[in-house]
Amino acid sequence: MGKGKAQIANTIRTLRFHAGEMTQAALAEQVGVTRQTIVAIEQGRYSPSLEVAFRIAKVFGAPLEQVFQYEGEIG
Amino acid sequence: MSFKQWNAAIMLATEIVITAWLVWDTAAHPLPDASVAAVATRLLWVTLVMILLNIAAVIGTAIVGSIVTRKEFKDEASDERDRTVYAKSMRNAYFVVSVGGLATLFLLAFGYDPIIAASAVFIDGMLAGAAGSISQLYYYRIG
Repeated sequence: MGKGKAQIANTIRTLRFHAGEMTQAALAEQVGVTRQTIVAIEQGRYSPSLEVAFRIAKVFGAPLEQVFQYEGEIG
Repeated sequence: MSFKQWNAAIMLATEIVITAWLVWDTAAHPLPDASVAAVATRLLWVTLVMILLNIAAVIGTAIVGSIVTRKEFKDEASDERDRTVYAKSMRNAYFVVSVGGLATLFLLAFGYDPIIAASAVFIDGMLAGAAGSISQLYYYRIG
């Protein structure tokens, strides 16, 4: 946040589609954050904490690496 | 825009309006022989008016927002992103307050009129508030 675009990609939009076109509001309610936060995460404008990332993965019943992928350089 | 973003925008607008009015009023009705106490009292009244105007504007926005969206437009519980945005915005506002406080001390140290120092404290508060509001809007919109 505030340091340019996050280098973490995600597949939340696709996972929502496969979950019966789950709405952002429904996902936000299950995860325990606001809808605006889900929008920001989905658009790559905000990198969530590990806890929220795990909660999102748990909602979809998917492993964390299927939901989030790190695209930056290491080192 | 969420309620929190509206709140930040309203605070920013209120600060701009009040500061503009104060500058205009000072230019239109100068008080050349005013004491420090008189100027400080005036600035305190202006601060009170700004707080009341801000509260009224937030309530008005909640009412108008509820009518326009046809559902209750109210503040949601803060989540981790809200807390991060708030913390970063407060950090920026704190930086402005610190610089302004230091500038005021320099003004007094170099023998400037205490009236100017009192005005500097007020302007510093306004700038800090504006920095906090702009930061919030930036972090919410841009990320």
